[in-house]
Amino acid sequence: MSTPKTEKDLHLPLSRVKTIMKSSPDVEAVGPEPLYLVTKVTELFVIDLAKRAFKTSKANMLEYKHIAEVVQEDDTLDFLREIMPRKITVRQFKEIMNKKAAKGDHSEDESSDQSSEESSSEESSSAEETNEQD
Amino acid sequence: MAEKLEDLNLPMTVVTRIVKEALPEGVSISKEARTGLAKAASVFVLYVTSAATNIVKNKKRKALTGQDVLDAMRDIEFDRFVEPLGEAFEQYKQVASVRKSGANKKKEEGDEVEIVEDD
Repeated sequence: MSTPKTEKDLHLPLSRVKTIMKSSPDVEAVGPEPLYLVTKVTELFVIDLAKRAFKTSKANMLEYKHIAEVVQEDDTLDFLREIMPRKITVRQFKEIMNKKAAKGDHSEDESSDQSSEESSSEESSSAEETNEQD
Repeated sequence: MAEKLEDLNLPMTVVTRIVKEALPEGVSISKEARTGLAKAASVFVLYVTSAATNIVKNKKRKALTGQDVLDAMRDIEFDRFVEPLGEAFEQYKQVASVRKSGANKKKEEGDEVEIVEDD
């Protein structure tokens, strides 16, 4: 038997969408019509989001950062900002921290630099000593 | 009702399939992107639901209707979905009415056509 068109073009499980809808505090019953429409629009939404994200991709690859970028740029996607933050690399993080440190007070940085220099010079001198003893 | 926490998330495999169908062939989707899209879709369901129930509350009604979902699109500034969603709604209503008459015919055979209403 052939599936009716409305179900054929739906992929998301209606029962799951219903469960999520019902987890909303003000929702008691969900009729078939609103359930169908919420399911349908969620599909439209996820396709739209993926397509827009893919546009920002330079390779043939859709990555998290592309989606996060769209989410952070588009104000109507504000509801996703908390769950999809921009991710940064360790290097970027260090650069940001360095900039912050450069703007802020320097005393802390200088003291830590000094101490690391001291310890390294100690190590090298002790290494020399052992060499001489041999 | 939601018994497990996973029940409040849309299945990632299904979301990925939908996205793959929509993107050009051969595009690979990283695992993080898949998880992200599934999460985004799940949160979107709640977002739309809450926008639609706000309309219901403001109109001092109780039951959520299909029209409320359509109207909610404008409230959350997703106007671009109003048209395709409206079309889908029309189709749905047509098919639903065809099914109803079909179900009446089939009643004698005891072959009931069920429309998504599981409680």
